Amino acid sequence: MLGVSACGGQIAANTPASNGNNFVAGDGTSTYYQAGHRAAAPTVSGTTLSGSQLNLSAYRGKVVVLNFWGSWCAPCRKEAPTLAVLSEQYHAKDVQFVGVDIRDQASAADAFMQNFGITYPSFNDQSDEIALDFRGSVSPAAIPSTLVLDQDHRIAGRVIGATSYGTLNTMLTKLTAGT
Amino acid sequence: MTDVHTDPAGQAGPPVPARDRAGTEAEPVLEAGIGERDAADAPVARPPAGHFGVVAWARWAWRQLTSMRVALVLLFLLALGSVPGSLLPQEGIDPAAVQEYYTAHKTLAPILDRLGLFNVFAAPWFAAIYLLLFISLAGCVLPRAYRLARSARAVPPRAPRNLARLPNSVRFQTGLSADQAAALAATFLSRRHFRLNRGEGWLSAEKGYRREVGNLLFHVALIALLVSIGLGGLFGYKADRLLVEGNSFADTVTDVDAFHPGHFVSANDLAPFTVTLNRFDSSYIESGQDRGQPSVFDAHITYTAQPGGTPRQYSLQVNHPLNVDSTKLYLIGHGYAPVFKVTDGQGKVVYDQATPFLPADQATYLSEGVVKAPDAQPDQLGFAGVFLPTAVDLNGQLESAFPAALEPAVSMIAYRGNLGLNSGVAQSVYQLDTTGMTRVATSDEVLTPGQSMKLPNGEGTLTFAGYKQWVSLQVTYDPGQVPALISGIVALAGLLLSFLVRRRRIFVRTYADQAGHTTVDVAGLARSDVGGGFEGEFAELSRDLREHITASRKETE
Repeated sequence: MLGVSACGGQIAANTPASNGNNFVAGDGTSTYYQAGHRAAAPTVSGTTLSGSQLNLSAYRGKVVVLNFWGSWCAPCRKEAPTLAVLSEQYHAKDVQFVGVDIRDQASAADAFMQNFGITYPSFNDQSDEIALDFRGSVSPAAIPSTLVLDQDHRIAGRVIGATSYGTLNTMLTKLTAGT
Repeated sequence: MTDVHTDPAGQAGPPVPARDRAGTEAEPVLEAGIGERDAADAPVARPPAGHFGVVAWARWAWRQLTSMRVALVLLFLLALGSVPGSLLPQEGIDPAAVQEYYTAHKTLAPILDRLGLFNVFAAPWFAAIYLLLFISLAGCVLPRAYRLARSARAVPPRAPRNLARLPNSVRFQTGLSADQAAALAATFLSRRHFRLNRGEGWLSAEKGYRREVGNLLFHVALIALLVSIGLGGLFGYKADRLLVEGNSFADTVTDVDAFHPGHFVSANDLAPFTVTLNRFDSSYIESGQDRGQPSVFDAHITYTAQPGGTPRQYSLQVNHPLNVDSTKLYLIGHGYAPVFKVTDGQGKVVYDQATPFLPADQATYLSEGVVKAPDAQPDQLGFAGVFLPTAVDLNGQLESAFPAALEPAVSMIAYRGNLGLNSGVAQSVYQLDTTGMTRVATSDEVLTPGQSMKLPNGEGTLTFAGYKQWVSLQVTYDPGQVPALISGIVALAGLLLSFLVRRRRIFVRTYADQAGHTTVDVAGLARSDVGGGFEGEFAELSRDLREHITASRKETE
């Protein structure tokens, strides 16, 4: 251990500090819900990192990939290139990628998006209220988490933890084929 | 304490077959001073030795499991089993430390992992210990509760033949017939809430059954307490969150730092509230012996109980939690979060935020932390250092003199290279993995608010803009808490009742002699007269009884 982490104090014993990671990490498990078994997604709206207003209903009729991320989160950095590639690949097939940037800060998030070549918009969700909106239907249980909404904005898929190209690609292929 | 477990004598060693458990487990306190025993309590004769059938073995095993000795051994094992939990890093508490342990001890770690020593409290052997302990307790308490319930409904036994032998007895004569005297004694005693049993020429009365009720309550409440604690463990959860002034958090799994759910808790069971920390006030005693001791911690928060609900204000203090729909929010710690701004080699701001530092010294709040700028170009930048609330220079050594931020300063060391974040392996936000990084010399390493340090060759700048404070919060939901409290109170009340109430018996025998007179013998016996004082009660009672009988004689004349 580094000297920096000499968590000798009393705080370290019973605070988030003791977790070390400072967030609940997911384990890369994915679920796909067949048509007819899909819960409706809540209406989601908010301010994006670039400062404009965004409402998910603007993308009705499109498949939406909702990715919960943070520039500080290592698994998010790992999956970011995959998401950048897939968002380009499915752009023409009416699939809209939307990020939900959690517990982050605009300048760090901007640098992240620029570095990984991410062009799709992200909600600025400092206090995680969008994740709270998904409570009760399918809640993204850890960072990173990815939800895939079908054309009617019903929750068709969920990946907890860093997504792989294969997992997300399979879901999107099914959904854009209309199954 | 009331005997929860009694250790039946002579139960060690090889199985002693089929000796009635009730007989060996007679309660020493309750039975003290009583010569007789209920028939059910009488020891059953031993079957011939050498015939240990399955049933005998099962009985023996059960008796061992529910004995005091085994319960104590299990309790000891439970304590012993928790030791590795504090010696070795735990998966549920510090997964990063477990990883480090793996790299440091390549051969030992997999063995320890197989034994479940990195997640002790979820290990099967640990579960086995506490389940056995639970069964042991339940197996002891339940039959006892059943016996107590029976004993509370029992009818007083037949009066002994020779009442004069009992420790308290009186004899007097009356002109009434034996039957009349007995009838009068019966009405007298039942008016005083004695439970009666009558026979030919004798009467026995007993009161103080509340002692048994109290004892029963205690035992039942003990089981309820165990169940409540189990309930809390299965359906409750605990979550920790560190929150900087001006920030908000929602009670979701994604938004907490650490989440410890019970077995039946899913991510959707969390109470949907949001909390914003507006301001944190802390003050410390500035002089005298207690200098530096905290005097006020006050977190001013705004919370909404549900999404879209009305925002409410609350002042969160130590031991003054916020209660939202039986989910509680506790203030458990605080610290400083210096605000840093990092500009990379291309002049772009890649980091601009308050960064929580962890207190390394509780007395001075000298705090340690790191800044990671993974998106800095051309190289990732990292900074590690300390925050000093009241910085003083002691012969060139920078120290913090006081926990309040009177002269805030930071001392940071800069690194350049690969932070190791892009590989996807989760790492601590409080630690810098410098294996892929090189230290860079900077213009100045000690900064006061507003000052910057420059990296050589225009690779970047770190600015210490100021500081904020953070609090660490704990969200707990424990559905077993209220039942456990009620059980505890009931157990205590039952215990008091069983200690304070005395079970006592009054026996009356009436004999008619040839002269037409009747001799009345009255005797009293207290079971478990621990506090003493039964003699006085008996003297008063027998005097009143005598007066009652003799007064009626005058009326009838």
